[in-house]
Amino acid sequence: MNSNLAAGLAMIGAIGPGIGLGIGFSKAMEALGRNPEASGTIFVPYILGLALTEAIGIYCFVVSLILIFTK
Amino acid sequence: MPVAASESLIHVSIQAETLFTIGPLHVTNSMAGAILASAILLVAFWIYLRRPAMVPGRFQSALELPIEWLAGIVAGSTSRWRSYVALVIGLFLMILVANWLGLLPGVGTIGLARHTQAGTELVPFVRPASADLNFTLGLALITFVVFVWWGVRLHGPLGYLKELAGEPRYMAPLMFPIHLISELSRLVSLSMRLFGNVFAGEVLLATMLALTTAVVFVLPLAFFVPAVFLGLELLFGFVQALVFALLTMAYITLAIAEQRGGHQDDAHSPPAPEGAPAHG
Repeated sequence: MNSNLAAGLAMIGAIGPGIGLGIGFSKAMEALGRNPEASGTIFVPYILGLALTEAIGIYCFVVSLILIFTK
Repeated sequence: MPVAASESLIHVSIQAETLFTIGPLHVTNSMAGAILASAILLVAFWIYLRRPAMVPGRFQSALELPIEWLAGIVAGSTSRWRSYVALVIGLFLMILVANWLGLLPGVGTIGLARHTQAGTELVPFVRPASADLNFTLGLALITFVVFVWWGVRLHGPLGYLKELAGEPRYMAPLMFPIHLISELSRLVSLSMRLFGNVFAGEVLLATMLALTTAVVFVLPLAFFVPAVFLGLELLFGFVQALVFALLTMAYITLAIAEQRGGHQDDAHSPPAPEGAPAHG
């Protein structure tokens, strides 16, 4: 029971990457709106940036999964 | 009763189950998944290499399209791209096939029933390889060794250590551990990201199936809702494979491009290797 509570608390850390992903996505869309031809150039750094941001959320998720599923 | 039923439906284990043992080697079902994925790739390229046509057919284009596309991206990174383009494409194809293999019906659901004192549990024959930390950590170790090797090769062992120590020499006692940890954290983040995403997908699919089958009165839900998430997992599997390959490329590029700041190479090499071969 305690470990389930801890798993829920660990997911609070997903707030940060959520905000970060939103900022990154909105900036990429802004850049696309200003310069639609640059989509090919933007794509790779955009995916890399999102992946690096998302990793923080994944850490929280892995921690909570370990708390739930390992006895 | 529905609670107990749904709890028994969500059976997820972080550890891969052992199928059988050969001496000290435990052959797990995620190893079976990895071997199956590489076998699919090997057979596909064996068929392709038997008669590659000048005008590609449907099968040949399906194999050539991702390779040409990725090679175009990698060619834009550094002038030495030819020496690591095969690694990047190989990682991408392997992870992509391993991820999509896990979405096939029968993978993770067909297996042996194993009786323990806790009850009967299913041991699937094949488990998607990327849902096991050993597989992703192995791939990340390959990447780690390659980009450290590039750094050591271009700077020399001492130069690499100097690179880790940072620019103002008196800050070295502080910066050296930080740089060391940041190098090691790439290993952790690469493996954890892939594992977390694919394993999360597995849990998500299992949960959706359990939730929708628990509501027996609206039975068609059990067919439509997991299908939506299967489509989502197709996208995620592709994106994660791409991210792993592109991060490998980015780390190698960083290890190489730091050398361009040095002076012995700039005098006789063309100034901008980024722009020219961008259409690989």
